[in-house]
Amino acid sequence: MELVKKGFKNVISDLVLIGIIVVSIFPFIYMFLMSFKSTINAYDFDFSLEKLSLGQYEKIFQMENFERYIFNSVFVAVMGVILTVAVCSLAGYAFAKMNFKGNDKIFLFLVMTMVVPSEVIVIPLFLITKELGWLNSYRALILPLPTAFGVFIMRQAILDVPKDLMDAARIDGCGNLKIFFKVVLPLVKSSILALSIFTFVGAWNNFLWPLVACTKAEMKTLPLALSMMKTQFNTDVGLTMACAVINFLPPFIFYVFMQSRFKEGMTLSGVKG
Amino acid sequence: MENKKGGAGKLAPYCYIAPITLILVTFVIGSVAVSVALGFTKYNIMTEPVFRGIDNYSKLMSDSKFVKALKNTLELMLLIVPLQTVLSIILSVFLVANRKRFLGKLANSMIFIPVICSPAVVGVVWRELLNGKFPVIEKFFGLFGIEPSMLLGDAKTALITVGMVAVWKWMGYYVVIYSSGLLGISNTYYEAAKVDGADRIRCFFSVTLPLLKPTIILGVFLSVTNSLQCFDLIFNLTGGGPNNASTTLVVYSYSKCFSAGAAGYAMAISNILFVVILAVAMLQRNMMRREASEI
Repeated sequence: MELVKKGFKNVISDLVLIGIIVVSIFPFIYMFLMSFKSTINAYDFDFSLEKLSLGQYEKIFQMENFERYIFNSVFVAVMGVILTVAVCSLAGYAFAKMNFKGNDKIFLFLVMTMVVPSEVIVIPLFLITKELGWLNSYRALILPLPTAFGVFIMRQAILDVPKDLMDAARIDGCGNLKIFFKVVLPLVKSSILALSIFTFVGAWNNFLWPLVACTKAEMKTLPLALSMMKTQFNTDVGLTMACAVINFLPPFIFYVFMQSRFKEGMTLSGVKG
Repeated sequence: MENKKGGAGKLAPYCYIAPITLILVTFVIGSVAVSVALGFTKYNIMTEPVFRGIDNYSKLMSDSKFVKALKNTLELMLLIVPLQTVLSIILSVFLVANRKRFLGKLANSMIFIPVICSPAVVGVVWRELLNGKFPVIEKFFGLFGIEPSMLLGDAKTALITVGMVAVWKWMGYYVVIYSSGLLGISNTYYEAAKVDGADRIRCFFSVTLPLLKPTIILGVFLSVTNSLQCFDLIFNLTGGGPNNASTTLVVYSYSKCFSAGAAGYAMAISNILFVVILAVAMLQRNMMRREASEI
């Protein structure tokens, strides 16, 4: 009897779990399926194999600037990660391991900028960028990406690096910079990875800032291209979905390979407390 | 070596922190300063700003579109936050209980996919799903007597629909936060409660919820600040329409600046939102501090 009850309970939870899975992913399945359909039979919902085609993907790469959109998205996200990791770990190292006048005060000052929400300062940021003559440039898209939050994460991580190791390296004749590269960075790899994921996804999915900062077609990123298609080719659902798939895949592929790191990275900003 | 420390060594730390400081001062502090200053001016980007004192702010109160945007912003928040919080806590409890089973693991990874997906993709795909041409969706909503094609196009339901999509998109994010809170609760509490004869529901209300309180405070405030800033989803789902029914403060400020060319006024709108978010952040800090001192 007890066993039957337990089995019944398992069936119920399995059903609920399947429900959660279906609700979480069916829009993406729909997106994939529609992207393999030709425009003519888009809404007949016949997904037999011979009717599926890569036609939409061939078509989308013929679209003007499409390769450029992909390049822009990749370039901005990759450079954003490199820049963020570089400036944040350098600063984190200084704040964690160096004694200098105003260490705490400057750190607090930087951390305070974390309360400023990015959506709120888009217009003044646009004006500043315009004043600098940077509109429609990669600089405008990449340079504002690093945040004080990255410094915070890197400082926390570097604080845990044992002083003995650094002292040993110093006795061996290493300078600050060499200690940073040879001793500190290898020990905080996991934090660097988490920060990289956080920055990559943020930059890749960024929408409002590129929308404002880039008016020229050749400077647009993939999410903007997708958003534009929605109005331009309102009837061509397959093409729009193909663009959505290309937009969706890079973070998704990374996620498949580094799930737990991803969750850690993406919720970093929440767990800081 | 001593020499090095005395001369260049003293300046070295400042070189390490200079790049990020320069970035943050230019883009973040600079933006706040520009926003505060130009919020007091009439400025259309083309011509020089003209100082108008608090004109922009006094105009806001009689601007029916602003009042509507403010109302929409708060409504959207009130729609998202309770639903998001309750649902994600329940889901977390369920998923943590099933975390060792295959389907549990699978559900745990799947629920996070919408989180990593760009809001533009989520917006475009959901808009497509809700256009009334997809029979499964049509039937599903038909069960509740709802016609999906009207959800985004009707002023009455547009904002609610945006809110639901936002809850769906961010569910995995909050589930991760609450799950880590739940896993942090020591099993001894549950064993003690069991000895005292508490059933599972009693356990949830008397053990889980009180011990999860710090995480809940964090989760609620994250949900509040995120929902107040919602832009990308709205832009791609409804564009703020129909008839401004889903225009929030960020959307209104954006359109005021880039469609109507009233940058000064638009910044006054953003400044109001900034003050609201700042107040929420301060409230959160106080509550977290009190919570920490209680434990």
